[in-house]
Amino acid sequence: MSELRFNDVTVRFGGSRRGLTAVDQVSLTVPDNSIVGLVGESGSGKSTLARAAVRLVPLTGGCIELDGKPVPRRGPESRRVQMIFQDPSSALNPRMTIGESIAEGLPRGTSPAARRAEVARFLELVHLNPARASYSPAQLSGGQRQRVALARVLATRPDVIIADEITSALDVSIQGTVINELKSLQRELGISVLFISHNLPLVRYVTQRMAVMYFGRVVEQGQTADVLADPQHPYTRELLSQVPDSGGNPPHDLPERPVPIPTRSTR
Amino acid sequence: MTISPPTESIPVDRARDTSSRASRWLVVLRTPTGLTAGILLFGLLVLSVAAPALWTDQANQVNTDAILQPPSDGHLVGTDNLGRDLFFRVLVATGLSVQLALLATAVAVVAGLILGAAPFLVGPRFGRVLTSAVNIGIAFPGLLLALFFAVIFGIGATGAVLAIGAAGAPAFARLILTLVAGVTERDYVSAARIAGVGRVRILIRHILPNIGEPLVVNATIGAGGALLGFASLSFLGLGVQSPDYDWGQLLGTGLNSIYTNPAAAIAPGVAVIIAGLAFNMFGESIAMGIGAPTIGTAGRRLLARGRVRPETAAPVDQGRIDAVLEVVDLSVTFPGPRGAIQPVRNVSLSIGRAESVGVVGESGSGKSLTALAIARLIEEPGQVDATRLRFQGTDLLSGTETEHRQLLGTSLAVVFQDPMTSFNPTLRMGRQLAEVAEQHQRMSRSQALARAIDRLRAVRIPEPERRAKQYPHEFSGGMRQRAMIGLGLMGSPSLIVADEPTTALDPTVQQQVLELLAEIRRVDEVAILLISHDVSVVSQLCDRVLVMYAGQIVEDLPVSELARGARHPYTRALIAAVPTMHTDLETPLSTIPGRPVDPSDIPPGCPYAARCPLASELCRTQAPPLETDAAGRRVACWRADEVVVR
Repeated sequence: MSELRFNDVTVRFGGSRRGLTAVDQVSLTVPDNSIVGLVGESGSGKSTLARAAVRLVPLTGGCIELDGKPVPRRGPESRRVQMIFQDPSSALNPRMTIGESIAEGLPRGTSPAARRAEVARFLELVHLNPARASYSPAQLSGGQRQRVALARVLATRPDVIIADEITSALDVSIQGTVINELKSLQRELGISVLFISHNLPLVRYVTQRMAVMYFGRVVEQGQTADVLADPQHPYTRELLSQVPDSGGNPPHDLPERPVPIPTRSTR
Repeated sequence: MTISPPTESIPVDRARDTSSRASRWLVVLRTPTGLTAGILLFGLLVLSVAAPALWTDQANQVNTDAILQPPSDGHLVGTDNLGRDLFFRVLVATGLSVQLALLATAVAVVAGLILGAAPFLVGPRFGRVLTSAVNIGIAFPGLLLALFFAVIFGIGATGAVLAIGAAGAPAFARLILTLVAGVTERDYVSAARIAGVGRVRILIRHILPNIGEPLVVNATIGAGGALLGFASLSFLGLGVQSPDYDWGQLLGTGLNSIYTNPAAAIAPGVAVIIAGLAFNMFGESIAMGIGAPTIGTAGRRLLARGRVRPETAAPVDQGRIDAVLEVVDLSVTFPGPRGAIQPVRNVSLSIGRAESVGVVGESGSGKSLTALAIARLIEEPGQVDATRLRFQGTDLLSGTETEHRQLLGTSLAVVFQDPMTSFNPTLRMGRQLAEVAEQHQRMSRSQALARAIDRLRAVRIPEPERRAKQYPHEFSGGMRQRAMIGLGLMGSPSLIVADEPTTALDPTVQQQVLELLAEIRRVDEVAILLISHDVSVVSQLCDRVLVMYAGQIVEDLPVSELARGARHPYTRALIAAVPTMHTDLETPLSTIPGRPVDPSDIPPGCPYAARCPLASELCRTQAPPLETDAAGRRVACWRADEVVVR
């Protein structure tokens, strides 16, 4: 039972006059036991929104609620929302074994024996050999590191996971292993996931609902199948037309940009 | 004589395993400077322990018969005003000098750590106050601070240790602030924070271990500075007091008799210089060793080998007379710590006029290096070998570098993944483009600028006159990439080598860049060599695809065959792994088990065998040749066309 809700969330960087509104009154719900996709171009505010959900970025306005209550800043309750990052080379501390990294997420006061058992269990959960707990991140491939990052997040027993472009730094040959893992674990454990990506076929494959962000605002959201079958916003349509085998019009017949794209330097 | 601020910062935590880290430190000792400094430092430390134990008696032996003597056989550097042997005194003084310098450095590092790490612990607001305080502290010269603190802490060894430590603290604090800020941005620190790990724990477990390496280096260099500082204070009479003595104090007393016995002042002076140099040089060489990639000795032998190999293999694609580019048996070799590594092996390809060829493969497959080798952009210690490398009919393996540069400068354009790093941020865009024409086509400044504006227009940059006056940072990512293509079009290229030109771009912008490349190809009859990890990008722009695995071409096929007609199991697996808008939502995504081959450890037989569901004994023992079929397609597989039976 866990629903993450963004209510009119606004995030501004810098001062009131020269600052930049990265996220502009976004309302979005990640329902219990589901995966919601979030797409948009770089700079559209999707990563900022993700970081706001895990309190890495302070909110300027609005609130983020978990099951109807604001997510607290500290304490065990604050650990219920977790995040997986894009870059597998920066995701794990190079000076810690992967076992130590995973153990860090375990509740405090776990005995050393229980720790070892839990680490093994979580490694097994993401289909890595528990004997590898003593490996350093450098000995793992990018895909394996992302799976360790997933295990570390699962060790905190989260209710919601924010997955920010978790496969965009990976080769397509191993992208599947991470995605399959995420999808099956989500089903198994009933976690809610906010899946951020710019890869529409992947979002289509992974998510049930999706939202499209454009310059800090959510411009479209709904059931993934509906959004992809009948996009309403011009930006969504443009995104969709870039997918090579979307079956619709070939890319060469594209009209010029349907909407004027505002520049970032709106100061 | 100032206390050198430890300003060198070394890249933090490039992920490496422990063995390579250890070998990096060993590499330091293999360089001439590193070895010299290492021996010097080791000798100094041994002396600082051994000398006081061995020679204290000789050094303290008063001999009123031999007061203030010049150097002689009995006294190598003469004697002081009590007739004590100065040579032994200098040796014994090593102990106190080194000890105090190390103590002072320890004080500086600890104080620096506290000041530098505190902002992370106390939060941004109070942190800013601390940071400003550190910045003010660093503005004062080190020796001035040391003198100031020496007066406060009192005259004597303890006071001087504290004074020099305190004077060195701001510089270390500044360094640690920077290093901590760098590590704090890493995702694993964010992850730990989200997981509810406390700040102190994050500092101890995540941050400090990852700033250790540069800190040790700078502390070593700082110790050299502290040693000099100490000598200065003692020399001025603020440091070590009689009857104790260190080099500075010996220097001070020796100076009184500089006209009668110069050696009395020179000997401790030389000792200070040698010791200071030992610390500094050692620190510098570690910094260089762990900052730069390791270069083993095994690969050097390969470098000596000639570039041209005898043409033994039958040339591929002999019939292509109109080829813009012809490459036969291209290999790229790098020296590695455990012998030479060959990330590109025997690649043969040819590109015809206005043809567009894509190269796909996983990271580490050698696709980018192939492109760089063709553009002659592989730098030392990398080595490019080929039996044939012809561009527009010109042999790039013979002839001079200058001739090639002229040809490549006008006829070959290269587009990289990140256009930001390809432009000089301090030059206006128009200038940067114009420079090419001035250099290669000997145009005048105004002609070249006019051409640059024309080219910017050709790559569909709106208002090119205005844009030419702007700097690279004022361009968006897609526009920079188009300007990069425009830069290539300043000459009249017959080939554009594009290495992941759209990877850093958003999907919508990516499309525009691909369309632009397609149009240039059509209008100007330019051939394109497109390197990408993304099969769908390649299939949009190219006629032909080369699939690379473990540094070799494993398949060469027309794009139209990619979806259904691929013959190599790797190509098929690669295609299947890309989710499309029709992928079945219920079945798991297709993956390629195992991991790519490490170029330093290439197995015998087919390199893909370990991951291939069709692999047989033959595949594991014998490498399949790249065979050309009747239609001109090439494939390197013993079991091409076979299908996995499940």
